[in-house]
Amino acid sequence: MNCHEVRQVVFLVTDNEAGQEVVISFRQHLETCSECARQAQYLQRLLTLVRQRCCRVSAPAHLRLRILATVRRDGTDQDFQEGL
Amino acid sequence: MLASSRWVYRAEAMDAPVMPVLAGPPFEDAAMPYLDALYNTAYRMSRNAEDAEDLIQETYLKAYKNYDKFEPGTNLKAWLFKIMKNTFINGYRKKQQTPPQSDFADIEGAFENQLSDEAGGRIKNPEDEFLENVLDEDVQQALDALPQDYRMVVLLADIEGFSYKEIAEILEIPQGTVMSRLYRGRRLLEDAMLQYAEEHGYLRDGAPTKMRSRGAGRRSTGE
Repeated sequence: MNCHEVRQVVFLVTDNEAGQEVVISFRQHLETCSECARQAQYLQRLLTLVRQRCCRVSAPAHLRLRILATVRRDGTDQDFQEGL
Repeated sequence: MLASSRWVYRAEAMDAPVMPVLAGPPFEDAAMPYLDALYNTAYRMSRNAEDAEDLIQETYLKAYKNYDKFEPGTNLKAWLFKIMKNTFINGYRKKQQTPPQSDFADIEGAFENQLSDEAGGRIKNPEDEFLENVLDEDVQQALDALPQDYRMVVLLADIEGFSYKEIAEILEIPQGTVMSRLYRGRRLLEDAMLQYAEEHGYLRDGAPTKMRSRGAGRRSTGE
């Protein structure tokens, strides 16, 4: 694999979407080419940064309760009506 | 308000098909673990808590009513995200009166070139300093500023960790489109973060990103 081919697949490899053979030739190239290695490392760091720094927002408790009340209602309502 | 919404859901629940008892785990057990992931994506897409809550409540109600159509053993998380995507597109996106998204056809056409020349070129000159100094707010702001179609793909891939194939299924678009939107979205994200970094003065040279990329050859040691 040459530098051009490495650039074609750098996203695929980083995203774990490349086949094993591609990954092996990709890594072999990186061992001998510091420029491609730096690029791949930069991409990896950039994506890790986005993943880590993007604060995850949890669903509010009242939403969870409201949804649970909705999806549980089916059975509980029937029981309730039969009980009457 | 509570009373009226209660009646709506009761009425809808009565129309709902009877749940197959032995088809798989009960809806609640199977679907509730994905609530935070769905909410986080909904929040990032709608950019406000109220819309995100409505969107997720509607998503869960639809999923519950259609749970008999879900094939046990297939990807429930992706199925739930697909319902959310459709709900978002049909309702909340219109509500937000977003201008039409850019036409992706031209991007698809230039895909190969972009990947080799631009996307590759973008990362030609790593800015370690830049990465270390990026603020959480910069990442959030850059993500929020992405056009919706790109933001959705970036969120699904880089935050939720879905594969290209799963994203293609969720968004009902070809895998090639997923890839081009993802790569372009990441480039836009990087652009925005670099811009914020420049504004905050993290970068020593204020040169525009593209010039830095072009100057990648300057790593020669003869100076």
